[in-house]
Amino acid sequence: MIGVFVRRWKLIGLVALGTVALLIFLAAIFMASGVYNVAASERHFLVTNKLLAFTLQRSIETHSMFVEVPKQNEEDLVPLGANHFSSACALCHGSPTERRNAVVLRMLPTPPPLKEAATKWTPAQLFWIVKHGLKYTGMPAWPGAQRDDEVWAVVAFLRRLPDMDRAEYRRLVRAEPRTESEERSPLVFEQKEELPHFCSRCHGTASTLPASRRVPALHGQSAGYLKRALEEYRNGTRSSGFMEPVATNLTAAQIDSLSNEYAERDPIHTAPVPKDSRSLKRGRAIAEIGIRESGIPPCLACHSGRASKQFPILRGLSADYMMGQLSLWRRGLRDETAYGAIMAVIANRLNQQQIRDVTAYLESLQNKHSADRPSAGRGGE
Amino acid sequence: MSHSRPTTPMVPSLLGLALGGCEGVQSALSASGDEAHDIRLLLWIAGAVCAATLVLVLVFGILAFNGSARVRAWIARDQLIVSGGLVLPVVVLSGLLAYALLVLQAGAARSAFAGEPSVTIIGKRWWWKVIYRDSEGREVVSANELRLPLGQPISLRLITDDVIHSFWAPKLAGKLDMIPGRTNVLTVQSNEVGVSRGQCAEYCGGAHALMAFYVVTLPEEEYQAWLAREASKALPPATEAEKRGHAVFVESGCGACHTIRGTEARGTIGPDLTHVGSRMSLAAATLPNDANSFARWITDNQHIKPENLMPPFRHFKAGELDTLANYLDSLK
Repeated sequence: MIGVFVRRWKLIGLVALGTVALLIFLAAIFMASGVYNVAASERHFLVTNKLLAFTLQRSIETHSMFVEVPKQNEEDLVPLGANHFSSACALCHGSPTERRNAVVLRMLPTPPPLKEAATKWTPAQLFWIVKHGLKYTGMPAWPGAQRDDEVWAVVAFLRRLPDMDRAEYRRLVRAEPRTESEERSPLVFEQKEELPHFCSRCHGTASTLPASRRVPALHGQSAGYLKRALEEYRNGTRSSGFMEPVATNLTAAQIDSLSNEYAERDPIHTAPVPKDSRSLKRGRAIAEIGIRESGIPPCLACHSGRASKQFPILRGLSADYMMGQLSLWRRGLRDETAYGAIMAVIANRLNQQQIRDVTAYLESLQNKHSADRPSAGRGGE
Repeated sequence: MSHSRPTTPMVPSLLGLALGGCEGVQSALSASGDEAHDIRLLLWIAGAVCAATLVLVLVFGILAFNGSARVRAWIARDQLIVSGGLVLPVVVLSGLLAYALLVLQAGAARSAFAGEPSVTIIGKRWWWKVIYRDSEGREVVSANELRLPLGQPISLRLITDDVIHSFWAPKLAGKLDMIPGRTNVLTVQSNEVGVSRGQCAEYCGGAHALMAFYVVTLPEEEYQAWLAREASKALPPATEAEKRGHAVFVESGCGACHTIRGTEARGTIGPDLTHVGSRMSLAAATLPNDANSFARWITDNQHIKPENLMPPFRHFKAGELDTLANYLDSLK
């Protein structure tokens, strides 16, 4: 009796094994034959589409479960996200003012228009997609390593997109190039009184402020520093998903002329910050005297414009930008270069209160190259 | 292959270290200061008393086992137990205690004669800020080195900027802690011209072992001449190379933390560099004082003395580091 059972199960097992082996063999034949058509012009079967979409949906939902949405001023992030979107994303996804390119429409899968993306995905899911990209779809991961702060700017923009009309989008991205030459090549600027359109969309024109308080005004900045920054973005030693793609293809000559162009401009003043006089006073002490007990040297010893031209001038820069950069240093993301390594040490000695105070004070200074600068390194004792 | 390091020279240097403990620049046994002399005498006397006691106990032990009946009976008497076991220890130990207390007080007692000018030494992680006063009472800031006039009691005011340190120059005197919020005064008198070495004797963090200093005793006139030179401003850079070095110093923002008197550099976070080239060592007796060491320290200080406050500076263009190092070395 038992012998019959064993024999039967043995038979079933052998048949199953044989079937699997046959299937693998057939699959191998199928792949090796080249019969399968990988052409993008060839659409998937309906069922394949459904399965792919389901897998994608579930993967994004699961992986974004642990994304924490930071509390921050989204108003200020939207213009920044919009400008990055217009130069990096709109080509594939379209925008309120541009249709998707005919080339893009022949991709498989076709990059979707994102007008309604924020209604389909939660902010955490949008963040995850923008940060990590999507395999097999052509959607790249965020180029600036660990620059989550930048990714959130794009998310803020996408969340605003459903309610955004063409006029608002155009205003955000300062859409209209001013001259024909700019239209031909956004980095060439024949008319000297205006700054290159491509840069000025975020960093401000000769007479306007940057698009966001998180973006530094470059007017009157040290040319040496600007050149170094662009080179660091270009060779990837300074991480930014906004700036690295822009700097990748800049030639040395372009970097030189861009740096000089901005350096020669008159400084532009940020909107007056709400003044807390005690905070400003504390910030002033840090900037001019430092904090000896904590080993914090005075900022202005290096950053007044009188020391090395490789050191940035901090007077009048937006406090939000400086706080953002200090936080990058504290997270260990800006110490790759020799200059960054110096600042990394100092940034880690400042506490949050000191960072708020000193950046507020530095912003409140007008970036003049005049004689009323305090002398470097005045002692603390 | 550049990583492999020859091991054989280690043996003689270790031997040198071991022997160096007995004799040389940092030995309490070859005292050159009054206090260290007193302490050494205390050591010998206490040692002699201990030895005598040991011999006495051994003699009594032998007699107790091997002596004649009369001797053993004499040893067993109550009077001997009381006098040898109670009275003698009380007298000897009390005497030693009183003597030791007297020696310990020696510094404080002598400080009555020391008067001004005193030298203030501030312990920092991990170096020493040394503040002299010149004949007109002005502060003269230096670092990592104590210069003393021969044969004069000098009060050292010992304070700390951060954690507890302990000032110990074994050839001069005993240890004295530097305690936050307190000023401890140690009076020293060096009776021998020459160089000795001291170091922090209280664990104060990772680089504690690299917190040392040199003591230089000079004849009175030489000391005064040295102090006058130390009080003076830095000589303006003389050669073109020194001028370039000075420019690199200013450009790199060194003045944010370091002072070179007579220039714009007025920082107080790091050591005063006005006459740094004339000191015996760099980085608190960690490196020899030469241009090469300056260059190494500027670029690689976190490996030489981990977690010290100075950031690494590695941004220099070709030649800049050398001119900077040579300029610092020229600050005699």
